[in-house]
Amino acid sequence: MDQTTPKKTVPTFCYQCVAGPDLMRVEVEGGIATRIESNYSIGNEHPGGGRVCVKAYGLIQKTYNPDRVRTPMKRTNPKKGRDEDPGFVPISWDEALDTVAGKLRKAIDDGLTDTSGYPRIAASFGGGGTPTQYMGTFPAFLAALGNVDLGFGAGQGVKCYHSEHLYGELWHRAFIVAPDTPRVNYILSCGHNGDASTGVAGIWRHADARVRGMKRVQVEPHQSITGAVSAEWIPIKPKTDAAFLYGVIHRILHERDWRADCDIPFLKDDTVAPYLVGPNGYYLRDPETRKPLIHDLADGINKPFDGDISDAALEGSFTVSGIEVGADADEWSHDAIQARTAHQVLLDHMKPYDPEWAAAECDVPADRIRSVADEFIANACVGETIEIEGETLPFRPVAVLLGKTVNNGWGGYNCCWARTLLLCLVGALEVPGGMIGTNVKLNRPAYDRFTSAVKGPDGVMEFPFNATTKNEWQSQPHIRNAYRTLVPLVANSAWSSALGPAHLPWLFQKSPPKNWPEPTKPDIWFCYRTNPAISSWNTPEVTKRMAEFPFTVAFAYTYDETNHMADILLPEATDLESTQLIQIGGTKFVEQLWTHQGWTIRQPACETEVDCRDMTDIATELAVRTGILEPYNAAINKGGHGVRLATKDFDYRLDETQPHSLEEIWNASAKAASHDLSGGEEINDLDWFKEHGYMLRPFPQLDWYLYPHMKKNGIRFELPYQERILRHGTQLARRLHGIGVEWWDVQLEEYEPLPAYKPFPDIWTEHVREAGGDPDDFPLWALTSRSMQYSWGLNVGIPMINEVAQNVSGHKGLIINRGTAEGLGLAEGDPVVIQSVAGETRGYAVLREGIRPDTVVMIGQFDHWKTPFAKDLNLPSLNSLTSMSLSLTDSTGSGADIARVRVMRGDGPPRPEE
Amino acid sequence: MNETSPRWGMTIDLNRCVGCQTCTIACKHANDTTPGVQWRSVIDVETGQYPDVQRLFLVTGCQHCAEPSCVPVCPTGATKQRADGLVTMDYELCIGCASCAVACPYQARTIVHDPGFYYGEETVQERAVAHDERIGVAQKCTFCITRVDDGLAAGLSPGIDVDATPACAASCIASAITFGDFNNPESPVSKLAEANDYFQMHGELGNDPQIKYLYQTPSVPGRDPEEPGPYEEEPPEGALTGQLQKFWDMRAAMNFILGGLGSGAVVVAYLLSLANDVPFAGLRIVFSIAAAVMAVGLFFVWLKIGRKLRAAFVILRPHSSWMSREVYAVAVFAAGLIGAWMLPHPGWLALAALGAALFLYAQARILQAGKGIPAWRTPRMIWMLILSGLAEGAGLNAVIAGLLPWALPTGFALPIAGIVLVVIAASLWRSYVDNAKAEGIGAKARAVLSKATPRLYVIGHLAPIVGYFALITWTAAPIWLFAVPGVLVIAGGAYWKAVVITRAAHFQGFALAKYPRRGSGRFAAPLSVG
Repeated sequence: MDQTTPKKTVPTFCYQCVAGPDLMRVEVEGGIATRIESNYSIGNEHPGGGRVCVKAYGLIQKTYNPDRVRTPMKRTNPKKGRDEDPGFVPISWDEALDTVAGKLRKAIDDGLTDTSGYPRIAASFGGGGTPTQYMGTFPAFLAALGNVDLGFGAGQGVKCYHSEHLYGELWHRAFIVAPDTPRVNYILSCGHNGDASTGVAGIWRHADARVRGMKRVQVEPHQSITGAVSAEWIPIKPKTDAAFLYGVIHRILHERDWRADCDIPFLKDDTVAPYLVGPNGYYLRDPETRKPLIHDLADGINKPFDGDISDAALEGSFTVSGIEVGADADEWSHDAIQARTAHQVLLDHMKPYDPEWAAAECDVPADRIRSVADEFIANACVGETIEIEGETLPFRPVAVLLGKTVNNGWGGYNCCWARTLLLCLVGALEVPGGMIGTNVKLNRPAYDRFTSAVKGPDGVMEFPFNATTKNEWQSQPHIRNAYRTLVPLVANSAWSSALGPAHLPWLFQKSPPKNWPEPTKPDIWFCYRTNPAISSWNTPEVTKRMAEFPFTVAFAYTYDETNHMADILLPEATDLESTQLIQIGGTKFVEQLWTHQGWTIRQPACETEVDCRDMTDIATELAVRTGILEPYNAAINKGGHGVRLATKDFDYRLDETQPHSLEEIWNASAKAASHDLSGGEEINDLDWFKEHGYMLRPFPQLDWYLYPHMKKNGIRFELPYQERILRHGTQLARRLHGIGVEWWDVQLEEYEPLPAYKPFPDIWTEHVREAGGDPDDFPLWALTSRSMQYSWGLNVGIPMINEVAQNVSGHKGLIINRGTAEGLGLAEGDPVVIQSVAGETRGYAVLREGIRPDTVVMIGQFDHWKTPFAKDLNLPSLNSLTSMSLSLTDSTGSGADIARVRVMRGDGPPRPEE
Repeated sequence: MNETSPRWGMTIDLNRCVGCQTCTIACKHANDTTPGVQWRSVIDVETGQYPDVQRLFLVTGCQHCAEPSCVPVCPTGATKQRADGLVTMDYELCIGCASCAVACPYQARTIVHDPGFYYGEETVQERAVAHDERIGVAQKCTFCITRVDDGLAAGLSPGIDVDATPACAASCIASAITFGDFNNPESPVSKLAEANDYFQMHGELGNDPQIKYLYQTPSVPGRDPEEPGPYEEEPPEGALTGQLQKFWDMRAAMNFILGGLGSGAVVVAYLLSLANDVPFAGLRIVFSIAAAVMAVGLFFVWLKIGRKLRAAFVILRPHSSWMSREVYAVAVFAAGLIGAWMLPHPGWLALAALGAALFLYAQARILQAGKGIPAWRTPRMIWMLILSGLAEGAGLNAVIAGLLPWALPTGFALPIAGIVLVVIAASLWRSYVDNAKAEGIGAKARAVLSKATPRLYVIGHLAPIVGYFALITWTAAPIWLFAVPGVLVIAGGAYWKAVVITRAAHFQGFALAKYPRRGSGRFAAPLSVG
């Protein structure tokens, strides 16, 4: 060690997972990063007490991993495939960048789109937007390229809270929801594994809430980390959460006195519950104003929703004259017909779903379904208020959370709707104590949730649906996952391509659907902080498809399963070696609800012998060599890298004709960011941020809640009735049928104004038959569960993470109910083979009691065959078992992490003891 | 301890901990521990049987006991307790004998002989944080003593200022671990312990551990531990189950086998010499053979210790360590035997016999001081080792009598003594096995003992008794036949010691005196309906 260099600590951030960022300090001795510690100085402002989680501590070993790709490499074996040795050989950065730039230049010269109308350039990134927090100015480079297909998924849709993202933004500007954890008293959680997935802020806040007396009931097939620390775990049959929630709603609406239990003023004034619904399923409207009608009990008159209404009718049917406006402006005129309120339609809709029915479906005793409903109502505090920063707001300390697999794929719509409806019934949406959204990704602008919450003509929030009308529908997909063509609800923001049916490009590469553009391969495919070859559904299939791509550029930390197919490997400067300024605070993602906002920096803490480069430098070099420097610099000036360099108040723009060093770029960004944050009062440069680590200003807590904004602007929550969904679905069906597309018909059936329950598990059982198997041969449900130690972090090759993760059950293999295992003749540690109709995976048995006998769980995402260290872990992976299939794709383009499987004893000895 | 001295300790809230392992890895960073070494660890505990199941996460590690069982057993003084309660390690003094490791009921100690590297090869970072002084010696959680001391020196308050607080507590993302001064009623730990119900793990062992586990909150009140499920026998192995200790292997066992045999032989021979007319030279030969046996045993244990060149440090703690005392007993024995060769006088052999008796007793106390191992710590173990040592010693005497009859002429006294001793040893074993469950010996260890018992009864007890009896009744038996029951009883002694020390030696494991009331089915928290 160089004893002459004193010990120092370097402030930086960890954003390995979507629940970040968290701030840390890297201890450096003699130029070597030795240890990680939380940056406790932000403890009072950070919602997680200023701590970092277990993953951050892996970054030291990540930096010094001897398996790192140490120089740029090129492939010498033109054949690609899992069994082909790529023959990577080191090359200079000049050669690597020139090669990539040459390909890009050709794509630009060829016109950027190919014969199918798809972009010639594609790029895939890891989930949750975390790669953006590490890729420096690369987004500005992509923007300068102009037309890039970002829709090749790496597991999106099946690995995220997909339905929540889409419907959450529609209903309450909630790409992600969170309880108002500091105030909530009762949480009903259907499989939401927050104590493994919501990061430091979530765990910190929920631990405080538990000690305060908050009660959480966890409903899930396998007792997760969150199930473990909840007051109660209720085992439920996989994929039947909607039945459970419908049973709870039935209890409230039909067995209890909803008129006494529910927040009646909220339902009347702040939702579409009193809107009158016509016989065709659309609102009855005032012919003159075309506004939906409400029946006023005070005078018996039907009035436009924003008229002078004293006492809106919630239940019953009334004699109404008016028009219905359906799909494609179809119009029906009605004269003195009987029409029900939306709430009455809801009451009728929920009538069949009594707890006994639900119990038969979901295997939770009816009594317990009833008592959950009773607990929910008892804790809702309907009628109570609380003062927040001087403003009196409703206080409704109840929340309902949905986990992955509950929240995506078939049934996701039903669950999201039921969850949000439950909160609406007691007025617990977007109010203190209740459930709130944290950010928007589909609506714009992204910097707050409120600006896009604009009142539309029907009294609910505007939403940027992808058009489905005859004239505006995009019949020709502009990227390969066709999100604008197939999914109205996914909108068209920078995030939409990743939230569309991101598996379709892979699926269609193999078997193109009828009457659809030829599924071309991209001329160039970039991969950054992603490994779709192990993180998708049906990973063996995805791996084969990517091997067919002609030219793949992978930013590579170590060899992995995806960059095994690459042509060029670029070793980028990793977490402790690179520079970037990012936003912190405000409200975002998972439980990150701050009372401050500001900026923080990632900066190099140490140097290594790896010949890596910062992503910003790589982007600039590629821009220069590709000949797009000026649009690249222009994109930076516009904030394509996350910081706007000029507004009406300041101008720190860069000269667009010259390449700039990363110091110049981030120095200007530091000044712009601090200027913007402080209103020009405190302008800090890059060196200041490097020394201090972060800069904060207060953020009003009132801005956590959308409800005051809704009230102020007279906007209603669009619940329970989904007229727009019905209209878009009907229109989309007409459009697709118009071009001969019938393979999306099942998905189109999901566009219901009130979603009906379907036996969702049967979809997966039926898929076994569809794939040529006998469902009886696959008697178990296979699920996955979050590994906090590994999720998102791309840290599977880090031995210290593996060591500590071994302390948590399930990191050693397949979690299986002890009785089930014994029935199969399996003992703890026995080798097992797990098979589905899609594939097979292997591991060792982990016998537990906290799992349903018909369910097995493989936590995390493993099944590596190339990544150093990880490939020797011998862990099973659900991703090898899940089918990629249209029949398992819901209308939003999402699937679910679930498969029917059989488990058998494998060959070889039991799991070796450590 | 004076009133102003702090008493550092922790509270750990079972309702806060989510088992994330942040404390585990933060500890690894703060203390530079090598692969597989976790001074702080969080185990994933499951109790019950589907559908009545509870899962929780239990933070484990050194409890810095007020009455630490690791300290008095340390033969060198490497492990001490400070006035503020911290149980410390002096790596330069430790010989790596592992007495402390087996004395700890909390599985808190580790000895690493070959640390290895995370990636197989050493990285520059691992070299920068290497602690070669920890190789081959005991290591454990220090409550981040350097952070505490440096923090105090800098005017900080441990438990309040994170820089003066152990890394696990400082880093905890659930605020589950709180550190502080239990002697200060205003400290956060004192207030938490005052305001909440808590238990101390294995409180019945009397260590007064300074980690207090909080187990209830308003929404999940506590409950007493109960039968976790409808298992017919005991619940299956889980995270709470103590694992087999690996500190003392056959090398350590050899010391108890050969040491007990040799010292027992000396004591029995000396007692026989009081009853029979044993020539001085013969008795001296017997003592010398026994000495050689004991020496081989001691050689084996020397092979086992982690820092062999420091073996002499073992004499440093005779005031508390039976291991130190064992060495002093060896010195007494050796002095007597050497004296007997230098200056033939019965007094020397009496001195040697006294040394051997002390040695035998010290050995018995060494094993019984393994408080972390229920199969060892029972008070019966002292008598078992002494009586078995004497029985084996009688056996060795019988072997010598058979092969060197001039040296040890025996009448009926030896076989009668042999029978009596074997019968007592057998009775003790039976009592040991019969009371194993009541004594807290776990299922895995009991299974090992049960399996060994018939063999021991036949080879080590019944067969020698028959042999001795035959010698008494068959007066015409050739003298060498004396060796047969002798060998059998020696084999029996070696067998049970090997079994008890290396195979039935499971740690105490972990236990919760109280549980939060949470989980599925009958474990669930009460309804919250107002």
